[in-house]
Parts: sequence; C-alpha cells; structure tokens
Amino acid sequence: MAQHLTERDVRGIAEYARIGLDEAEVAQMTADLNAIIDSLKPITEYDLAGVEPTFHPIGGLSNVMREDAEEPGFAQEVALANAPAAQDGCFLVPSILGEGGDR
Amino acid sequence: MAAAERAFPAMGVREIRAGLAAREFSAREIAEASLARIRALDGATHAYLETTERLALDQAERIDAAVAAGELSACGPLAGVPVAFKDNMNLAGTHTTCSSAMLANYVSPYTATCVARTIEAGGIPLGKLNMDEFAFGSSTETSAFGPSRNPWDLERVPGGSSGGSAAAVAAGLATVALGSDTGGSIRQPGSFCGTVAVKPTYGVVSRYGVVAFGSSLDQVGPFARSVEDAALACNAIAGRDALDCTSQDVRTDFTANLAEGVRGMRIGVVPAFMEAQGLTSEVKAKVEEAANHLSALGAKLVEVDLPNAQAAMSAYYVLGPCEAFSNLARFDSVRYGYRDPGHKDLGGQYEASRAAGFGPEARRRIMLGSYLLSAGVYDTYYYPAQQVRTLITQDYARAYEQVDCILAPVSPRTAFRFGEVSDPTDMYLSDMFTISINIAGNGGMSMPVGLGADTNLPVGVQLISPQFKDENMLRAAAALETVYGPAPVAPGFAPDAVEPLGRPASLPDAADAVAGVDLPGLAGADGKAGE
Repeated sequence: MAQHLTERDVRGIAEYARIGLDEAEVAQMTADLNAIIDSLKPITEYDLAGVEPTFHPIGGLSNVMREDAEEPGFAQEVALANAPAAQDGCFLVPSILGEGGDR
Repeated sequence: MAAAERAFPAMGVREIRAGLAAREFSAREIAEASLARIRALDGATHAYLETTERLALDQAERIDAAVAAGELSACGPLAGVPVAFKDNMNLAGTHTTCSSAMLANYVSPYTATCVARTIEAGGIPLGKLNMDEFAFGSSTETSAFGPSRNPWDLERVPGGSSGGSAAAVAAGLATVALGSDTGGSIRQPGSFCGTVAVKPTYGVVSRYGVVAFGSSLDQVGPFARSVEDAALACNAIAGRDALDCTSQDVRTDFTANLAEGVRGMRIGVVPAFMEAQGLTSEVKAKVEEAANHLSALGAKLVEVDLPNAQAAMSAYYVLGPCEAFSNLARFDSVRYGYRDPGHKDLGGQYEASRAAGFGPEARRRIMLGSYLLSAGVYDTYYYPAQQVRTLITQDYARAYEQVDCILAPVSPRTAFRFGEVSDPTDMYLSDMFTISINIAGNGGMSMPVGLGADTNLPVGVQLISPQFKDENMLRAAAALETVYGPAPVAPGFAPDAVEPLGRPASLPDAADAVAGVDLPGLAGADGKAGE
C-alpha cells in the first residue's frame, strides 16, 4: 500500500479538523486513511482534459433567494436551550486566547 | 379481534383508511395499539430510539374529531397511518441524536419539513429511528446506541445507514418510515430488510431540518411495504420548500400511473453491472428473474452502457467526506452537542469534545475530507471527482435517450452478519450499485423480489429513473409487485407468527426529553448499548 500520509501528516490534519487523537489513534487513523486514499486511485487515472466539473446535480441552480422580509425566528431562550453552558443570554466558552483560566 | 390488539403498523394505508372510514377502529386505538406493539416487540430489533406518545395521541385526537365530523377526507392521504422518522430528522420536542454521542443530549427546537409534511398528511408519529452515526455506514453498527437487527434474521444487520427505518417497516412496527440516502442509505437497507425503499430525485424533497451529511447528494425518501404506500408518502413530502434552496416545485402525483403496467416501457439493463466482481449469484439471479418478468409483462429490455459508473465509488468517497467534513464543522461544543468538561481553553475543548463526541467512522470521514480539501491535494482528488461526476451524469443522460428507467442490483449481496464486514473499504463496497445514482442526482429505489436462493434472505432490485421522472421507476415497481406481491412483514414479526421473535423494549419517550440530558441507551464505556 502506498504511504500517502505519515503519522506527522495525520497529526496536522487532526489539528486542523479539531479532533484530538492519542498516539494509538493516530497510528490506526494513519493506516485507515492510507488504505482509503489508495482506493480513490481511479479518480487520478482518468483523462479529464476539457471536462467541466459538476458541483451540483441540478444544473442552472444559482443564488436561490427568498424575499428579504422579516420572519419570526427562535427566541433567545430556545436558541440557548441546547447550549452546554450559557450566561447572561450568551453562549459561554472558555478563554479563546490560550490558558486564561476562569474570569 | 379487539382493536387494541390489532397490529396497525403491520397494515397498509388503504386498510387503515377503510377501517377509519367505516369506524371499525379509531385513530386513538391505532396510536395506542401501535405504541404497545413497539414496546412489546422492538427489544429484538432495536429499530426505535425514542417513542413520541404525546404527539401520536394529539394527532389521533385531531383525526378522530375529523372522522366524527364526517371530514376524514380533509385529514390528508396518510390519515391515521403509523409513521416514524430516522433520527437525523428534527421533530420539535424529541431528541435528534443522529445516533451519535455528539448529539445524545440534543432536543430539537424545530421540525424538519419532511417530518412536518408527513404529519400534516395525517401520519401518526410513533417515534425516532436508529441509524449509522451521522449516516456514515451501511449496517447501523456505527450507532452510538447499538445496532438495529434485521427482522428476518436477528443475527444479521438491517443495512444502513437508514437501518432502523427499514427494520421498523419490515417488522411491522411502522407502516411508513422516512430515511435519507447519500450513497445508498435508503435503498440498501430496503433491500436487506425486504421493503419498498425510495430515494427520489435530488431536489424532490426538502432537506430542511435533516442533519446534513453530503449536501450535493443527500435526499429524503420513504420505506413502505407496498409501492402505492411509498408513492403516497412521496406525494406527502415532495415539493418546493423555501427553506431548502435545492427543493424543486414538484407536483407529480406519484400514484398516477401505478396501475398502467409496463407495456411499452423501455427498461435498461447494464451488462457491466451484471458481471461486476462481488455480485453474488443469488442476487444476480433475482435481477435476471425480475428482468424476465418485466419483459413478460410487455416491457422492452434494452442493454445500456454506463462506461464511467465504475468511477462513481471513488468519486463518492472523495465528495462525501469532503462535504461531511464541512457539514460536521458545526459541532463545536458551544451552541449544542457534547462538551468535554473542565477545559480552560477553547481549542482544547474543541479537540477533546469532537474526539469524544464522534465515533471512529465519523472521525475517519472528517479527517479524510479535511485532507482531500487541503491545498495541493484538492486538485488531485476533489476537482477530478467533480469532473467524473460530469461523465457519470452524461452516461445516464445517454442511457435515458434509449430507456425510461434502468434495472440493476441494489446491493451485491443479502444482509451480512454483525462484525462480518469490518474493513472500512470493504463496507464501502455495499454501495457499489447505488452510489452513481446520487452522483448523478437521479431517482432510485429498491423493490423487494422475494428471497435469495442461497441465503433465504430478502433481495431487492434497483429501479433507476431519470431526474424528476420518479414516476417511471414507481410504475415499473408496481408491475413487479403484481408478480411478487406486496412486501410481507418479516415472518417472526407477523401478527400470526408461528415462532414470534419480538421481545419487550424499554424505550424512552419524548415526554421525558430535556435539552442537555442524554437520551437513555447510549453505549457505555464497554461498547455495549443498553437495549
């Protein structure tokens, strides 16, 4: 099997995708992803010169807009009902810029 | 038999409507007996994650009031029909977990359009149905609540990702269930469980309120035990919705030509599909048998070529994960979903929450999508996959110059045993005949054609329609139904079962749903679900 990704690559992808993996998971993920990427090979072997891409199955669909009119939305308490933590009508998160501790 | 003992979810739409019209039973009796049947039997199948008793009884009351006023006809085409929904569909006041630990404590503040339309059409909502986590899988084995079991053989998977929907209909625990299909997730479980299973053309049904997986591929559709019931469900859910910009103004009556027969229809067969590696002889024999029946009924069989269809699999495993990576970025442990406790910085909280909230297959697909969309790699896989999509779409367009619909296998094999397919790339082969239909955005359905000669398990054949000509495949399916009959309830769950397989389930009900509190049944640290 071709080595498309090293464990170092996988750590980088995990960081970008915001998924924390431990060492054993990194090793397993590296093996799994290399096998899957291998199976994608046919895509790289097609002669696609001059073929336009299709990004969406319904041709001619673009900028579908509704009228810009006021409509009812969620009340604040409904929007916050599923939040793991909320305070003063806002979503509550830990410090964004590094280890800030509680404030 | 007393009405309370009747197996209403094992009945069809016509039978229920006739009984209501004749006041043989009430909608309240349907709701109560249906929920009682689920609680008595679903311990064996684990199709349901949560029941919706209050909603069922409220709906029944509306229908009974209409019947009392002599206005049953105003109740909609699914009046009194027991219905249930895949758990990636929001229904206000119920958990919508996507069978993931990430959303185990999520309670919907709103209702998906397809769900709302099913209820507006008179359906009695019984509950929410198990699935592969975020629809990533072909067996329901990736559900964080434990797998569903195939009602035909409890040692086997029901297929997936809409496995709970297929199992519920096959076990007679719902008359109609909705599922979603990104690469085969309606059709493959329909084939494994022996139900009619329809993935309409992309754009026929609004996805508003259905948790997104691959937004250029996802489509909602029904499971039922007869073609007519599936077509009635399509009528209820199809059409333009301002809340999904891909939904189209479809006003087709999907039942209109079911009785026409196939005389004069041109039906395509794809020789390369029939010779595909991995296609089992019993499935191949059933597809050939169905072709012969269609021919005998007056259809003209035409060989068509889809030269680029074999590239659909790799195109799908590029496009699907890329779109999933993008769609699953929203699970940020801030607005809803699982939050790993005790973190002092947001980045660490993201990583720990997403690592713990997503199961292994979800993590794989997110990671793969992240890689495939990265600079330099994009041009190697993602862009070519979209070009391949053009070739596949053109293949189908050429084929449909010659035929009105195409007949093909659904799955290369019948239902497999739990754990039998463990390698991710082997599991992906389950969808080898269904994926190209999503890539091109066509309609596709699984039509049950009896049991395979070797495994004695249900086999479905796939009928594939041109875009927005879904009535073509339904017409051919209805013709096959005149030969094979409507799909039966699995023998162990039939109301008159000789060897009943069902056993009681302890199911949570949406009456107890509280945002932030996990739906009971989440698999513990030992990996075993509490059934």
